[in-house]
Amino acid sequence: MKYFSSNYRTVFSAAILTLAALLTSGQVAANGPIGEHVNHLQDHLDNYTKDVQWLITKVDGIVTTYESKGRKAAQTDAVVDHWEAVDFHAAIETNFVPLYAKIWQGLYGVKQSIDDELPIDEVRQQQAVLEQVLWQALGAIKLAAQYQEQGLLSTIKTSSSTPTTLIGSLDEVKHQLDRVVAKYAEKLPGEAIKIVHDTYLNLFEGVEGALIEQDADLVVALEKDFNVTLPKAIEDTKSVDNVQQVVADMKDKLNHAKDLLQAANKEKKAVF
Amino acid sequence: MQRRRFIQALAAAGACASLPLTSIQSLAASKALSVNDLPALEGKLTLYLGRGEGGLYENVLQAIRDRNPKLKLSVRRGPTAALANTIVAEAKAGVRRSDIFWAVDSGAVGLVTEAGLAQPLPKDLTSQLNSDFQYPNWSPVTGRIRTLPYNPDKISPEQIPSDIMALPDSGLAIGWAPAYASFQSFVTAMRLIEGEKATSDWLRSMKQRAKSYAGELGVVMAVERGEVDLGLANHYYTLRLKSGKPDARVELAFSKGDAGCLVNASGVLALSEGELPINFIRYLLTREVQSYLASEAYEIPLVKGVALPKGLPPLDSISPPDMDLTRLADLRPTLALMRDAGVL
Repeated sequence: MKYFSSNYRTVFSAAILTLAALLTSGQVAANGPIGEHVNHLQDHLDNYTKDVQWLITKVDGIVTTYESKGRKAAQTDAVVDHWEAVDFHAAIETNFVPLYAKIWQGLYGVKQSIDDELPIDEVRQQQAVLEQVLWQALGAIKLAAQYQEQGLLSTIKTSSSTPTTLIGSLDEVKHQLDRVVAKYAEKLPGEAIKIVHDTYLNLFEGVEGALIEQDADLVVALEKDFNVTLPKAIEDTKSVDNVQQVVADMKDKLNHAKDLLQAANKEKKAVF
Repeated sequence: MQRRRFIQALAAAGACASLPLTSIQSLAASKALSVNDLPALEGKLTLYLGRGEGGLYENVLQAIRDRNPKLKLSVRRGPTAALANTIVAEAKAGVRRSDIFWAVDSGAVGLVTEAGLAQPLPKDLTSQLNSDFQYPNWSPVTGRIRTLPYNPDKISPEQIPSDIMALPDSGLAIGWAPAYASFQSFVTAMRLIEGEKATSDWLRSMKQRAKSYAGELGVVMAVERGEVDLGLANHYYTLRLKSGKPDARVELAFSKGDAGCLVNASGVLALSEGELPINFIRYLLTREVQSYLASEAYEIPLVKGVALPKGLPPLDSISPPDMDLTRLADLRPTLALMRDAGVL
């Protein structure tokens, strides 16, 4: 199968630990209700495969139309419509948000290059990038399905819930930061910034008090990231990769925070 | 309610904690009970739990579960005000899904008690609390004090007005977090004590010189790094910062006899009849739980004989206002005032 070539396997093996961590956070997608199919990936792999093949065919049709009839005839808005129509959308959004963001990046790469009336070779390059990330995402879902079948992954909640522990809150903060990148890649900067603010107020703020006892400088740095660095990167319309890098730096700090709080938990006295 | 007496009694209670064992035993009628004094909890209970406290309430609940394996405790979590509204709405619809409500602020408790939904508490339970915190149908759990954290490198304590209403004219650079729930309870207290016009004028004047932050830890951190001279925040943010950074440049000041040093409290009440909800509440008032919340969350224990959190200045020097805390439930006029003043 072409989407399990050796270079993809390398990507998958590096990503799978992250994937498992993301899955254990078990969070719901933000784009309204998601189907229960995300908890039965194995049963739906054929459908997801068909979704990816269908998407690739549709995008190829748009690019071919552009090549033969020009920008207007290509009707590039359909690129996004097609993506939003498939179940695979929810499967990747709930299971692997970083790849979800890359798919949006790829979709807009194709759309923008046509809208800007770039030479067909450049459009085909963008198309190839999109196809690669779609196969990569399908591969990730197939691996996730195996883990799910073995009972190694938590059930993905299809209704909203709130973490009840500090560690759970930090995991959810990281998940929400991935969503920030996804929404930004989706060309929804306002929604991305709202997620940043809501994540700060509803999740990170509840962790700060305990974290500041462990490392006040770390809290200062994360406060700046939440309130200045990340919103500013979005407002300044930096590239998706740039915003992704800000989030990656924040996640490094959050991982350190998690280590500190886990160590502090071990020292915490028992209630009774 | 005599808040000055309360603080003096709290200070005395803190002193009691260091008395010899025989002296403590002689105060048996007024001291906190140990969890070992309580009956095992058996049966089904549904608790509505207001979110907050960074998971420490969850630790308390888990400890109660671990100690009482025959207790089937279901917990519904949500913002405190939303849960209070849900309880009232459920009652109007003729249903009761919750046996106990544990709220992070007493204003939400007021909403439920005013609706006549809280069960009376036995005297032997309420008498464990400081006399100023004994209510017939709800129990405060722990308290927090409004403070004025300041940067000692930038200003001296003498520059800080003792009257919160004089703060806008102090010439100081001030940090505040108007969107924060505790701040809004403080403004509610001001509205009830000083009146709507004085509160509105205060908000408008403050707006001219105050810098807004998303939360009150952010306010305290801004004070510490000298971004502002002074802030308005609950006491525990400063204590937590100083715990992680002992040389942090922030100290606590208090206004006198006004909303600026309001003592607010988390509270619990029983919605269903019977011994089980009452005995569950007794667990929250044990020496162990009160000490845990004092040492881990820096909250002020409200049960007699439990030591105060480290780092709090002598409490007999503080004079909070006389205020029935359940009146803080009346938040809507406060939000309207704040919006009119342009601070929300």
